[in-house]
Amino acid sequence: MTAAAGTTSGRRSPLGAGLWPVLPAVIFLLLFFLLPLAENGLQSLYVTGSDGKAAFSLAYYVHLFSDAYYLGVIGKTIWVSLLATVICILIGYPVAYFMVRHAGRWNGAMIFLLVAPLLTSIIMRTFGWNVILARNGVLNNVLQGLGLIERPLRLLQDPSAVIIGLVHVLVPFMVISIAAVLKGIDTRLEEAAELLGASRWRTFREITLPLSLDGIATGAIVVFMLANGSFLTMLLLGGGSVVTLPLLIYQQFLLVQNLGFAAAMGNVLLVLAVISLFIQLRLIRQDGAVA
Amino acid sequence: MTQTTPKAQSSAEQAEPGLRLLGIRKAFGSVVALRPTSFDVPAGTMCALLGPSGCGKTTTLRIVAGFELPDAGQVLIRGEDRTYDPPQRRKLGMVFQNYSLFPHMTVAQNVAFGLRMAGMARAETEARTRRMLDIVHLPQHADRYPHQLSGGQQQRVALARSLVTEPSMLLLDEPLGALDKNLREQMQFEIRQLQREIGITTLLVTHDQEEALTMSDMIVVMNRGEIMQAGSPTEVYERPRTRFVSEFLGTSNILACAVLGADGGSLRLRLPGDDQGSGFTVAAAASRPVGSTALVAIRPEHLQVKSVSEAQPEAPRATVSGHVFRGATHVFQLQRPGLDKPLLAYRQVTGPVGETALSPGAEVALTWLPGTARLLEDEIAPEVGA
Repeated sequence: MTAAAGTTSGRRSPLGAGLWPVLPAVIFLLLFFLLPLAENGLQSLYVTGSDGKAAFSLAYYVHLFSDAYYLGVIGKTIWVSLLATVICILIGYPVAYFMVRHAGRWNGAMIFLLVAPLLTSIIMRTFGWNVILARNGVLNNVLQGLGLIERPLRLLQDPSAVIIGLVHVLVPFMVISIAAVLKGIDTRLEEAAELLGASRWRTFREITLPLSLDGIATGAIVVFMLANGSFLTMLLLGGGSVVTLPLLIYQQFLLVQNLGFAAAMGNVLLVLAVISLFIQLRLIRQDGAVA
Repeated sequence: MTQTTPKAQSSAEQAEPGLRLLGIRKAFGSVVALRPTSFDVPAGTMCALLGPSGCGKTTTLRIVAGFELPDAGQVLIRGEDRTYDPPQRRKLGMVFQNYSLFPHMTVAQNVAFGLRMAGMARAETEARTRRMLDIVHLPQHADRYPHQLSGGQQQRVALARSLVTEPSMLLLDEPLGALDKNLREQMQFEIRQLQREIGITTLLVTHDQEEALTMSDMIVVMNRGEIMQAGSPTEVYERPRTRFVSEFLGTSNILACAVLGADGGSLRLRLPGDDQGSGFTVAAAASRPVGSTALVAIRPEHLQVKSVSEAQPEAPRATVSGHVFRGATHVFQLQRPGLDKPLLAYRQVTGPVGETALSPGAEVALTWLPGTARLLEDEIAPEVGA
């Protein structure tokens, strides 16, 4: 539910245009998005007391933010998402740059290769990593075969597996966001800088990179929010070694069946997403004047 | 191909051209963008590369700038071979078609960019930037961003940015294309004045003949990757060698005339549609066979329209088919048997605009001063004589 927030928000309604055509979408969103959100919010604010009666209380939130364990989980959630985001930027930027500036007629093929993994289910992809990273999986076999390691490495059930899985799933979003902005940068700006004496590297640092920050920001927010809400990767590749909010929600919801507490955590995740979106809007508004 | 102009280093060192292109050739895949092209731009002058899109003028400019490498030939800037230097080392200033100002930098930062890249001290950079902004009349806009400026102001910033580094040459790529007419004329004069004051060798790429005529000391007319004609504006305008040049630079009436006879340095020709009559003479460098067809160009401003009674009886006749009043000139469209396109004639408005006696339908006589009709060099396939 909360993961959906990342994909549906961030669009502005076209004011002034006829509202009738968007009515079905509005009704749909009201019924399946806003109502459950409200329900979720209410649920997190009513705590069932020992007398069996539900009473308005902030107890869940107080619990969430006063318990070191839960604070640690929130911190970890943000940390893992940030790390995945940074790695996605480092991997995604060169790919996007190559795609826009050098791929030429291979550009279409590259976009296809980037998007194709998104067409397979996330479960399939995650299990794919299981096959590769398992104790006697592909990677360990290769490393052992080469004599680089003696005993298989413990790659699964480890934070590094989670990061690998997240980056794999999310890097296309980064590449596409950055490529879209890079494509809009007039190469004549770079030529102008070179003619004014700037080396290739200086041109990149002074012109190309600052002008593509917008794309990095957009990609970073998208990746951060998706990583924040991702659950299967944590569950299947982390195996309990990385406990993040979505994983806790899953536990509270299915195992402990404390719906109110799960709802409270869901709302915290939602607030994180809203804050990221707000930051993105701020960034774009500043740069928007430039475009 | 590598034909050198006679005045090489032997005579005078200071006669070194600001820019010399020797046999520059460039193809993109199977498309030939530039046939072997050579020309000199004398130091301190402005040379316009004029031609329609795809004529090779932009390719030439990009080769001079170092954005493209030629397949063959040499680029000499102030006598130094720069053919394979990267753009960074050529010390050129350039104003791009859309100005290419850095959108994330202020006006002052834009202008200072080249100085900063050269590693100039901060105080010196600031002083020079300020002086340059003074020169282009934008001192109070230093802290604005490009998008906050008008087109003309952006143009001035681009000019300041390209000149502040004291480059050895200035390249202008369609610099005024994005401006409206009045501003364009004003900027033409401003750029020209600045260029003269600094005395910088300048290469201007344009498809606008008026821009080429008003701004430059020398025009190189290009078409399909070849130089059609090069010379001073008056030379190229008054003595176009080919139909292409005479029609691209200004307007011309092109007449396919029958050659009646050759006499020393001139040809006797007959206008299409004339069955008899003694025809008229044009100066000719080379003789043409009698009976062949030769193309003659007459500028509309040189074609004088007279009433039949004023003119000599053998003067060619035409019928006025249209008349437009353009303020400073009257434009007449004239129909004549044997011509598929109407002739154009301009008449200066010299006094109060009264009624012109030449309303559509009137029969008129055509005259022109000897020397204003130019024989073109184009080869004409022998057709059925007119």
